[in-house]
Amino acid sequence: MDYIYTMIILIGLFVILAASFDLVIGHCGLISIAHPIFYAIGAYVSAMLAKEAGWPVPFAMLAGGLAALVSSILVALPSLRVSGDYLLIASIGFQLGLIELAKHIHSIGGAGGLTNIPSFLVAEHGRLAYVLLVVAVAVLTVLFVRWLAHGPYGRMMAALRDDELAFSMLGRNAIWLKVSVFAIGSGIAGLAGGLYAHYFRFLEPDQFGLLQSSAILTMVVVGGMRTTWGPVIGAIVLQILPQAITFLGLPPSVLGPLQGLLFSGLVLVFMFARPQGLIAASDIWSGRDAGGRPR
Amino acid sequence: MTDVLVIEKLNKAFGGIVVADDIDLTLKAGHVLGLIGPNGAGKTSLFNLVCGVVKPDSGRITLAGQSLEALPIRARARAGLARTWQNLRLFPSLTVLDNLMLGPTQYSADHLGDVLLRPATVARHEAEARERALSILERTGLQEIAQKPIQDITFGQQKLVGVARAMMNDAKCLLLDEPMAGVEGQAYALIQKAVRDIAASGVAICVVEHNVAFIRDLCDEGVFMFAGKVLARGTVETLIADPQLTELYFGT
Repeated sequence: MDYIYTMIILIGLFVILAASFDLVIGHCGLISIAHPIFYAIGAYVSAMLAKEAGWPVPFAMLAGGLAALVSSILVALPSLRVSGDYLLIASIGFQLGLIELAKHIHSIGGAGGLTNIPSFLVAEHGRLAYVLLVVAVAVLTVLFVRWLAHGPYGRMMAALRDDELAFSMLGRNAIWLKVSVFAIGSGIAGLAGGLYAHYFRFLEPDQFGLLQSSAILTMVVVGGMRTTWGPVIGAIVLQILPQAITFLGLPPSVLGPLQGLLFSGLVLVFMFARPQGLIAASDIWSGRDAGGRPR
Repeated sequence: MTDVLVIEKLNKAFGGIVVADDIDLTLKAGHVLGLIGPNGAGKTSLFNLVCGVVKPDSGRITLAGQSLEALPIRARARAGLARTWQNLRLFPSLTVLDNLMLGPTQYSADHLGDVLLRPATVARHEAEARERALSILERTGLQEIAQKPIQDITFGQQKLVGVARAMMNDAKCLLLDEPMAGVEGQAYALIQKAVRDIAASGVAICVVEHNVAFIRDLCDEGVFMFAGKVLARGTVETLIADPQLTELYFGT
């Protein structure tokens, strides 16, 4: 039963990550794959505040989300002022650089990892309570992204994706919109990081690298960008698939690369055969009150 | 008539190519000025300089007394500048109505704080924008296609949507870049009427257009541009009648 609970928690966390990443890359069209680093910042900040400063875990988690949000603004603001393309480079640099840095900071566990992170809920109320917490946050994230994307804010994101120059000529602030969306998405990822840290109680820098970037990207692409259910389906399918191949009994040295191949292979297959993903988004933006129902 | 847009000693060169050579130009309220000249004369470049798409090497641009040079594109739009684009630049992911609804100076979701915390304010701005957009669509004869995506309407209608979208922010000055290129029939008459109505409401308008009939019908005055210079200013009739300008326009 614990295995099932842990699986549901992992799926829930990836639903949060995929939905918030879809806001950034799908709805707003910002090209960045550094989502896991904000997940990491949330996880480490929350873990350290609870472990070293004795903060109550819920406050530590919120602070972790806030730290991810603030650091994402610091990454996005200079690069987005120049051009959207720089965000990809700046954010990957930030992701890989910070991971290397974390490996050499002994106070946060270094390359060996941060252990003995204070647990939350599980000791007093059991694993099911934590499952419910994660599922609740996942549902709220999906609903929040859907609400944001199909309101007047979503209309702005659609127009920005189409034509930034025409968008600016209408008096709209393209840079601020991009930075805001990037910060919201990253902040949510940070919150998910806190939820991860206090359940698994162990963090190591390498788990937030490019393999995780490709996993989250695959979930969004395979599930279907700019749809409510796409990131959810994507997270479920891509969390269960790698688990399924672990039952093949292959040695870990084969299993790791095989999962990487699986993710990249799926992205390639989908880009050729079904670029819209499992669930196709409408080409035309639809608002809450425009008569069209958001998918 | 009051001066709305004043351009003084504006210069811009891309390498050796001069697109604005000491340009002085004034647009007046309720007045339609036609920019005439061959391709490459610097007409669209002048629009890009005024809008902030391209930064001038030197010169001054003021809109209703406010200096524009240091402002980014969005701030110029908010100061009362609107334009259409030669290649349309509509938002294909949005319906006609939603294209227009992004246009007001105060957009409902400009402030994230409002979006997250003040739904009533957002709803009020949305309702106002919708009402305004629908009334402009009605005036421009586009009400029937309000809910259609951009790719489902004719090219003439798309041009008209561009003009309608530029009407959303109560601009003091409107720049129209080839509103008639490729347009004929009913859309032609509708665009003509729309531009007349906007001018009648006191907006200063500048039109780049190769359609001489349209320029003659609509413009109070014309300016002839060549190689980044303003060569002549006068009634459209006199500019067209000038054999020297005709020679420059058609080449020899």
